[in-house]
Amino acid sequence: MSEQPQVVEEWFLLPGAESGGMGTREAPWGSVEEALATLARRPGATLRDAAAGGRDVELVCLTDAGVPPPAAQAANHRLYIDPHATVAGNGTEAKPCQDWNEACQTLKNRLRTQQFRLAPGERLRFHVREAFTTTRFEMRKRRVETFARSVFLMMALLLVAPVLLILGYLVVQAWPVLTPAFLYTNPQDYMTTGGIWAPLIGTFLLVLLSLLIAAPIGVLAGVYLNEYAGQNWWTRMINLAVVNLAGVPSIVHALFGVGAFVLFAGMGRSLLAAACTVAVMTLPVIITSSREALAAVPMAFREACWNLGASRWQTIRTIVLPNSISGILTGVILQVARAAGETAPILFTGAVFFVPIADSGLPYWLPYNWDDRFMALSMHLFTLSTQVKDVGDEVKFGTAVVLIGLVLAVNSLSIGLRVYLRSHKRW
Amino acid sequence: MSPLKADSDVERSSAVGMTGDPPANSGSGLAVAGDPHRQRGGTTLLDRLEPVIEWIIRLCGWSAILFVFAIFLFVFLEGAPMLFGDLDLVEFFTSTNWRPDSEIRPQYGILALLVGTLSVTSLAMLIAVPLGLGAAVYVSEFAGGRIKETLKIVIELLAAIPSVVWGFIGYMVLGPILIWLTGAPIGINLLNGGIILALMSVPIIVSVSEDALRAVPDSYREAATALGASRWEVVYRVLFPAAKNGLLAAVLLGVGRAIGETMAVLMATGHAVQIPRSVMDPVRTLTATIAAELGETVAGDAHYQVLFVIGMVLFAVAFVVNLSADLVIKGIRGGRNE
Repeated sequence: MSEQPQVVEEWFLLPGAESGGMGTREAPWGSVEEALATLARRPGATLRDAAAGGRDVELVCLTDAGVPPPAAQAANHRLYIDPHATVAGNGTEAKPCQDWNEACQTLKNRLRTQQFRLAPGERLRFHVREAFTTTRFEMRKRRVETFARSVFLMMALLLVAPVLLILGYLVVQAWPVLTPAFLYTNPQDYMTTGGIWAPLIGTFLLVLLSLLIAAPIGVLAGVYLNEYAGQNWWTRMINLAVVNLAGVPSIVHALFGVGAFVLFAGMGRSLLAAACTVAVMTLPVIITSSREALAAVPMAFREACWNLGASRWQTIRTIVLPNSISGILTGVILQVARAAGETAPILFTGAVFFVPIADSGLPYWLPYNWDDRFMALSMHLFTLSTQVKDVGDEVKFGTAVVLIGLVLAVNSLSIGLRVYLRSHKRW
Repeated sequence: MSPLKADSDVERSSAVGMTGDPPANSGSGLAVAGDPHRQRGGTTLLDRLEPVIEWIIRLCGWSAILFVFAIFLFVFLEGAPMLFGDLDLVEFFTSTNWRPDSEIRPQYGILALLVGTLSVTSLAMLIAVPLGLGAAVYVSEFAGGRIKETLKIVIELLAAIPSVVWGFIGYMVLGPILIWLTGAPIGINLLNGGIILALMSVPIIVSVSEDALRAVPDSYREAATALGASRWEVVYRVLFPAAKNGLLAAVLLGVGRAIGETMAVLMATGHAVQIPRSVMDPVRTLTATIAAELGETVAGDAHYQVLFVIGMVLFAVAFVVNLSADLVIKGIRGGRNE
């Protein structure tokens, strides 16, 4: 529905022209009164038809020289006619006239009382409002709406587009080194060339170890919070602790790791100490997502099981956990992605710039013991870009792309799993 | 799903009645202990260990509290000798002289670092809050179907990019771009760090504010629409006031994330201890200082302990920010239930 009807009939008048005009530009009418009288008299050709067809009619007052105002000029005066109006109006937008007769009458009255005058070069529009047509107020609202919508869209795109561009740029820059050999070759020549095998396997071991520590604790904590905890201040405290644990800065986790695992527990700077630190850091992710996954299992399942005489733990073991295992998995996978990317917590707890490892044999596949210092991919990226000189850009970009690729792949797995679950929900 | 294995272990029939401890609202009082069917329910070792397992679960549930206390305790213990010893707290918070390695008189003034953290965080929020809220409104109220899902997933993936990669992007990509755009001598500075931090904290702002907007009952939207409000008017006049606590919490969580961020600011802000005069000045933050200097210190010396004191400051700030975010969220939830 548009604001203005497509077809506008134009009739011309020239003040002072001799009577008997045709209303055309060549033979204009002499006054508004004559125009109205003529238009109302002429059968079939005029206002009534226009009203039926929803067409607007414009009276154009020619200037003294007989020139019409520019076609683009908005009408100077408007009379609104709404065939669906239920009460008589005065022709304004808020109170439209009911039909043409009323409009003409209103106009004549105003002309007589000199409230209205069509000056040369002005246009008078009889605006016929279609049923449910938009008022100008609504049009303004709609324009604001469109504007707001595009602004919000711009904001969303402004966030997403540059990042996608940057990621694309990283891949382009890294393209020369992105071969399988880059993955399975060790860093060489003081890390300036070669691949990323040692840090890659280090990250893998770190993630595995931290997962082994964090996953059982996190999932059981989720079980506790969803299945056992009552609605009391203690539960509230636990929830608060989870939220705060998630919000503790990563560097503070690193300090904690140094104080608790490296020094107090006597692990030294080692793979295990780093894994413990990362495990504590990623614990809230697992707790929160496990609890959500468990909460998604309908209460009726538990009640049915209890009614069969099963104890609470039996219910959890046989009903609740199997039904929520995939949801829990998505959280665990998210933990993996996060653990793989963390740098600050492992900076002082076990990861080091460079540990030479063998190029073949078992030490190649399993280079680090739990008490060894190790290389990690995230740390390696930091080292390459800020600590080592003369590293080819493509090696840095390659490392970055592999790290991003790894993290995004794991995340996509989690998202994919979630989408799959949502579409295959059985209850 | 086979809930109970068929297994003829009879001894358990009474044990279940004893240990079975379903909540009062479960209605399981109807299950009679002597029910013959129950004898067919199998017991395994896992069932007989129920009390032990329940205690393990309980302990794991409490672990979050344990860890929060442990973090506080260990950071505090390592820094305490300095905090209650040589450290001049007035100088610590008001001096801009950060000279921990000075042979003559080491000075530990973190004002410049504090200002660094605050300026980077504020700049990041200046960018991230409008964009994040806007994106959240678009995703929650305007976008539909496929666009909505795609945007949500992309923003979620944004959150997954590790901070060291963001630092790398600031260092290797955004830095040169800033030099090219402004002609500044160095590209890793306050502006760079602010932009990077903004991009990093946007996902959390978007997701939390989207949750907040979604939490507004649909009847609010319907009522406003029935009164003739357009989508934008619904957002502006109805949703923003109704979800303002959630939106505030989103901003707070974004601030928390930005303050605590380490690797990205370490690599992208230029690492100069000074109070910035323009956005093109390099700065250094509290987190970056710890990350850069802890490796150079010896466990137990003054510099090492001061870094732990900074850690305490960070922990406290993060704690306050997260606590207020939590209170703000819980506040509305409590209010709505009444």
